Amino acid sequence: MAVAVVGSPKTLSALGMVAPTDLEIKLPAFEGSLSALFNVVRERKIDLMDVPLFPICESYFKYILTASLENLDEAAAALSALAYLLERKAWLLLPVDEPEPEVVEDDLTSILPTAQEYRVIVEALTVWRDERADLFFRSADAGPDPYELPFTISNVTALDLAKAFERVLERAEPNTIEPLNKPRKSLQDQMALVLRILGKEFVPLTDLMPERYTRTEAVYWFLAVLELMRLGQVVARVEGDTVEFALP
Amino acid sequence: MTIVDQVHALLFVADSPTKLDQLAVALNVTEGQIEQAIEVLESHFAQAGPVQLVRLAGGIQLSTKPEYAEILGAFLKPQRQRMSRSLLEVLAIVAYRQPITLGEIEAIRGVNSDYSVRILAERHFLHELGRKPVPGRPVLYGTTQQFLHQFKLNSLDQLPAPVPEGYELPALPGPEG
Repeated sequence: MAVAVVGSPKTLSALGMVAPTDLEIKLPAFEGSLSALFNVVRERKIDLMDVPLFPICESYFKYILTASLENLDEAAAALSALAYLLERKAWLLLPVDEPEPEVVEDDLTSILPTAQEYRVIVEALTVWRDERADLFFRSADAGPDPYELPFTISNVTALDLAKAFERVLERAEPNTIEPLNKPRKSLQDQMALVLRILGKEFVPLTDLMPERYTRTEAVYWFLAVLELMRLGQVVARVEGDTVEFALP
Repeated sequence: MTIVDQVHALLFVADSPTKLDQLAVALNVTEGQIEQAIEVLESHFAQAGPVQLVRLAGGIQLSTKPEYAEILGAFLKPQRQRMSRSLLEVLAIVAYRQPITLGEIEAIRGVNSDYSVRILAERHFLHELGRKPVPGRPVLYGTTQQFLHQFKLNSLDQLPAPVPEGYELPALPGPEG
């Protein structure tokens, strides 16, 4: 395999575009210029998996270090071509999602063989779900808006709570970038978590939380405790200058 | 006013399954007394009327009897969400194997399941239970009270046992029965 810069053609294409720097590529699968490689890949005349892009990029970087400023347009054109090739190859390297098979709603035989063990449960769930659909329950929200109900928070003032939240935020780390498909956390789940962790003994909020948490997580924790206080499922008190929480 | 009437009143206003201990605390009586009151209510409802007591998601709730489903459905016009086989299968796996990661679900099913898990979480059938202490710290999923409620289950113990590997399933009846 060999890649070399054989000179700058400094040519304009038929569309008036600057041609990329003429990197000459010699590979078992391909032999020619970077422009030619770009074209054959775009026209799908070559399998990009057979073309190692690393030596081409390396040669390009060497060229950039030695090239004069006059060739910037050509260098930029080569960079675009390389970026295109890298992106195409990256897509090729990604694992292909196997789509879930289309299944007919009532076709019991279409369950995947690997999950046959669970077939009897799936059948039971189907029956129970149908039975459950025949039952109707009282719906919520009868009576006044619960947010207007007064509730007592003992000797804790809004300022105490604000200070407690400020302390929690001081220790928080910046938010991390979450994957797009991550299920969004609900406040209800966070409230359930607080109820699981909290006991009858009064503790500051920071004792409930994990050692490391992000700012968003801090907000979730604090909102969950506030909401539980409003519902009367958590009580608070001020001990010294710290607000502590416990189950009633 | 008897305990039976008081329990009836509390269950009437409750919009979610109520646990025996919650009723006992509210009425300042023992759980045994609540249990007795509930038995009386159950037999009372069984004799007549459109209402019954159901044990769901670890609690007790008032519901209409199934025979009224048609007229209530016509009146309320409930929007029933479609539940595909894939979703049910993922739900069944999580119900048995919880806490379980997405990767483990996919290993059992042999196909990508992140869409199913996401939809089930959005419908509040699954929720995060924490993170598995392995590289990557993947999310552990478990079923919710909503799952029990929507599938008419009082607890996970009511689920049938999975069919052991290698067990030959009996042939299913055809569409004619």
